[in-house]
Amino acid sequence: MNFDIGEEEKNLCERIKGLFTVDGGADLIHLENDQPEVVRRATLRWAASLAEAGYLAPGVLNGRNSVSLVVMQESLAALAPSLFLSVEVSTRIFGRLVAVYGTSEQKDGILSNLTSGRIIGTTALSEEGMNIENPPLATTGVSSAEGFRVSGSKSHVVNGPIADWIAAAGTIDGETGTSFFLIEKSRKGLVTGNRLATLGYTGAAISPVHFEGCPVPSHHVIRPEDGSDALKMVRLWEDQVLTAATLGLMRRSFDVAVTYAKTHRSGGKPIIAYQEVGFKLAEMLTLFQTAQLLAYRAAWMSESGDRETDALAHCAKVFCAEAAEKIASESLQILGGNGYILGNPAEAGYRDAKYLQIAGTSTEISRMKIGDAVLAY
Amino acid sequence: MDFHFTDEQVMFKEQVIRFARKEIVPRVQEHELKGEFDAQAFHRLGDVGILGLHFPQAFGGSDADVVTTVLAGEALGEAGVDGGLTLAYGAHTFLCADTIFAHGTDAQRTAYIPKLASGDWIGCMGLTEPGAGSDVSSMTTRADKRGDRYVLNGNKMFITNGPVADVAVVYAKTGKDLKHAGISAFIVEKGTPGFSAGNNLIKMGVRTSHTSELIFEDCEIPETQLIGQEGGGFLMAMQTVEWDRSALLAPFIGGMTYVLEKCVRYARERYQFGRPIAQFQAIKHKLADIKIFIEAARTLCYRIAWCKDQGRPLNHLEAAVAKLFVGDWGLRPANDAMVLFGGYGYCHEYEVERSFRDSRLAPIGGGTSEIQKKIISKLI
Repeated sequence: MNFDIGEEEKNLCERIKGLFTVDGGADLIHLENDQPEVVRRATLRWAASLAEAGYLAPGVLNGRNSVSLVVMQESLAALAPSLFLSVEVSTRIFGRLVAVYGTSEQKDGILSNLTSGRIIGTTALSEEGMNIENPPLATTGVSSAEGFRVSGSKSHVVNGPIADWIAAAGTIDGETGTSFFLIEKSRKGLVTGNRLATLGYTGAAISPVHFEGCPVPSHHVIRPEDGSDALKMVRLWEDQVLTAATLGLMRRSFDVAVTYAKTHRSGGKPIIAYQEVGFKLAEMLTLFQTAQLLAYRAAWMSESGDRETDALAHCAKVFCAEAAEKIASESLQILGGNGYILGNPAEAGYRDAKYLQIAGTSTEISRMKIGDAVLAY
Repeated sequence: MDFHFTDEQVMFKEQVIRFARKEIVPRVQEHELKGEFDAQAFHRLGDVGILGLHFPQAFGGSDADVVTTVLAGEALGEAGVDGGLTLAYGAHTFLCADTIFAHGTDAQRTAYIPKLASGDWIGCMGLTEPGAGSDVSSMTTRADKRGDRYVLNGNKMFITNGPVADVAVVYAKTGKDLKHAGISAFIVEKGTPGFSAGNNLIKMGVRTSHTSELIFEDCEIPETQLIGQEGGGFLMAMQTVEWDRSALLAPFIGGMTYVLEKCVRYARERYQFGRPIAQFQAIKHKLADIKIFIEAARTLCYRIAWCKDQGRPLNHLEAAVAKLFVGDWGLRPANDAMVLFGGYGYCHEYEVERSFRDSRLAPIGGGTSEIQKKIISKLI
């Protein structure tokens, strides 16, 4: 056993923090811009810096989560939540899919550009009107002379409007197994919907994506031997990224609440001196530390390949996502009226938190999966 | 970070579970219903070395590390040992014996630790008073020096093992005007004139641990029964917190694993509307919540244990976080388990009912949840 964070992880976290202290992270504001090209340029600029700091590559090639990875993810998620979501979807979800299930040619063409921050990728799983838990997916690829013609629609695709590559999950010629069509931005028949206005993560570019007989050459298709296993892995990666996002959110929300409680005075003393506030902070920290350790242990378990990996990943996702919402809510409460004004981490965290319970495997589905695991179903 | 247990630790935990299932658990229900201390089970814990696990072999222990000791406690709970017996074990080993071992003289160690490690003697700790619970410094029990003796006067309250203990570690004021710095610790043996225990208090849960008042009326003890230095008692009491937040919490977490197993079996076997209730989403969600609590809580507990193994000073914030989480957040899964059993869960004969009652102590005993919040908010 060892509960210490290693020096290497600490240094990497410091480097990441350093990126944002140079200019105060001011141009993160460009991520909130409506114009996809502006968002894309800003995302790529940050991605390149993160790559240089050693952030983008870890865990991509082997597809494995690790405590070190989660520690540094937490650090970025606390500093720049939307940017975090964008680069993680690009590397630790899309990138891992290519790295673990792709062909050598696919890897050669995509991975180095992705992990150096020169291109952006995404995976498109979710579809309107159906539960992602119940394949087969409606998106299909039909064999054609040049490979496949893909048709279907995907909703809520993070990086949809700015991605160079989209991995669309679907079936081939009516088979039940899941394949992934690697579709370039310029591909004919790919139609990206308007960027969606969202409650939280307003700096992430999210949109629907449609495929209208989109031609995809055979060598751009990932056809895992066991498609359901690949889909399961993609969902696990997604949940791991979202769990790390909750840690960043909790840290950010907690820190701003502590700072405020120590500096804002009422009745002649800082409000942290009142039990109503101090005890709230104590509960917030208890939830945060518990969530943090659970997430770290889930990551460690994933690294060690324990048979409980999936169940623990779901436990971590549910606990962390719900703890994040609670902490964000209490943080906003402590900031009072000041917290209710747009533009501070407390209100942003409050809005972002809901996404983490909905996205990936929802807390309801996660609980079903944990229940099934303990019942050995 | 690394959350591995060694192979030895894993094997040891399994051994403790097997032992407890065979020798202790079959006796639990009978004693629990009657509210009786199971002396035989307690002595068996001593026979197999659990009571003195972390003490050196020279004192009848096994030189176990803290993480292993925590795993033993978790294993007892996981096997189905009730919270009463594990509390009796915790108060005996960590609050009484360990204080003597950690701060006592060689003579005191030699005189008491082997007897306590083997379970030949039962120990308790007297800190809380009728008027001094969370506010320890307001205690009124006094120990006045007269020549080479101390004379104790006062009352202690809610003392686990009080009615069955052979020896007590007792905290009393030796300084007149000092608050925390005026508290000293003493070893008082059963049968010492002026020392008596009150009747067993009938409690809601942890009923097989006997709890009582300790009464001191001009109780004279030799000065050699002082532990450490005069005025050092408060720090000694605080050092037991390391054990309280690890080895004493562990049986509760292990107990939730036991409860989860019971719930899983019941959910599979209980049919309603033509199918096992395990197939209903609401039931799966309850099972999931119990599982989530267990996984979240155990890591907090291991962290305190591991840090103690590294010889680090107690991180009071992390200790309070562990206690607060297990205490407050543990109530819901205990409740969920009882509700999952429906009407049966409300009956004494089902373990989930016992667990529900036992769990209610966690936010109260060993420092209330409110005190944990006070500590955390001060340290933030």
